[in-house]
Amino acid sequence: MTACRAYTTERLSAFADGDLSAAEAAAVRAHAATCPDCTAALADLRALVSNTARLDAPEPPPTLWPSIAGALDKHERRGWFSIANWRPFAVGALAGAAVVLAIVALPALRGPRNGVPAGSPIAETAATSPAVADPLLHEAEAEFAEAAAAYERSIEKLRGLLARQEARWSPQERTRMAERLGRLDDAIARSRELARRTPGDSAGNEQLFAAYQQKIAFLAAAVHRGGEAGEWDKAGARTP
Amino acid sequence: MDNASAAMSVKPPTKPMLGATAQLTAQVPIIDGLRLKARAAAEAKAKVQPDNDTALVDAIRRGDAGSREALYHRFKRRVYALAVRIVGTVDAEEVAQEAFIRIFRGLTKFRGDAALATWIYRLAVNAALSHRSRRAAAAQPEAPDAVDAQAGAEPVRGDAVLRVRIERALARLPVGYRTVIVLHDVEGLEHEEVAQILGCHVGTSKSQLHKARARLREMLAADGITAAALENG
Repeated sequence: MTACRAYTTERLSAFADGDLSAAEAAAVRAHAATCPDCTAALADLRALVSNTARLDAPEPPPTLWPSIAGALDKHERRGWFSIANWRPFAVGALAGAAVVLAIVALPALRGPRNGVPAGSPIAETAATSPAVADPLLHEAEAEFAEAAAAYERSIEKLRGLLARQEARWSPQERTRMAERLGRLDDAIARSRELARRTPGDSAGNEQLFAAYQQKIAFLAAAVHRGGEAGEWDKAGARTP
Repeated sequence: MDNASAAMSVKPPTKPMLGATAQLTAQVPIIDGLRLKARAAAEAKAKVQPDNDTALVDAIRRGDAGSREALYHRFKRRVYALAVRIVGTVDAEEVAQEAFIRIFRGLTKFRGDAALATWIYRLAVNAALSHRSRRAAAAQPEAPDAVDAQAGAEPVRGDAVLRVRIERALARLPVGYRTVIVLHDVEGLEHEEVAQILGCHVGTSKSQLHKARARLREMLAADGITAAALENG
């Protein structure tokens, strides 16, 4: 606010911040050197900006964080049921279906071609021969491997989701979870070894996929329960 | 001491300035007062180190719940203050909550193109402006200004009175002016950051700021705030 009409407050503000061109700034400077009003207005602006910069940031109410954390938890739990979150598991299911199809179809396809009923000693001997020797067997093995990889990805995703919540658990609960996951991993390892020793044989792979599914069901139940301390292993969560 | 000499008595700059501003500062020290004081005060408020921000964001992305809360505590006052000044105290908590939810949900997509603080300010401003738009669409009356409520809570004296008056005047500014002056003069952001946050040109941010200051000064004068009161504040 200045009695002098040479420059508006807006213009003086631009001058003060160095936002005028060199020529304009020189003109303002020359004017201010001889104009008490504009000099006072510049000092006034300086004081205004200084006071504005010192305004305090109010402390948010203590209820703010709990309401944010609650809303995020609710969103994440709801998100668990969304299609996007289930897509990786759907891939696993599709891969599993492909494997089941292969398991069912393989003996039928092998039977007429070899003239030997599936499950006979001859068939078992054939199954232990190198996989690459039989294109159909090779294809089935590739599908088994793909399905196993899909299960592994699903498990990895669930472990990631659960890891976010583990910080809330006691050391004892973490130990208990680790023990159960360890037993499930042992079952998977045993089944994998059986499947490896009998390539193309449905029993080994079925057992392997059942072990994977058991681990996925266990992890999914734990995540569904929000990973609350003491909650993930209550009745209803499938345990190994 | 003549007027020009009085103007020269302003405190010297505490850190080097760049470009045209530095040149002007050397010749007419009066201009130090505006930019540098605002900057120094803002820097004192903002103690966030970029490296810490990066580590914090990485930890949150890994699913560390503690880091999420740490980020909240790091930015809560700035986000909440911004909400108070744009929508008023009554709605500020709701807006701050919405802003933080947007921040945490969007953090996985934060690519570090802008500083974390700038990105957070952008989401907070958007949440506040969206809230105002929704309120306007629903034709609800504006919530009472933050500072009106604060001023009535307890008697204030000296520069506290002046700050309450400034807060009241800020609350009456058009929201566009208010947002720019809050981001630049109160929060201490550069025009480049303000422009990023508001999605406008740097020149627009500057011209809005100067208009906002002029309007604010008019309002304070109309409220009887003299130059002497400002300088003694």
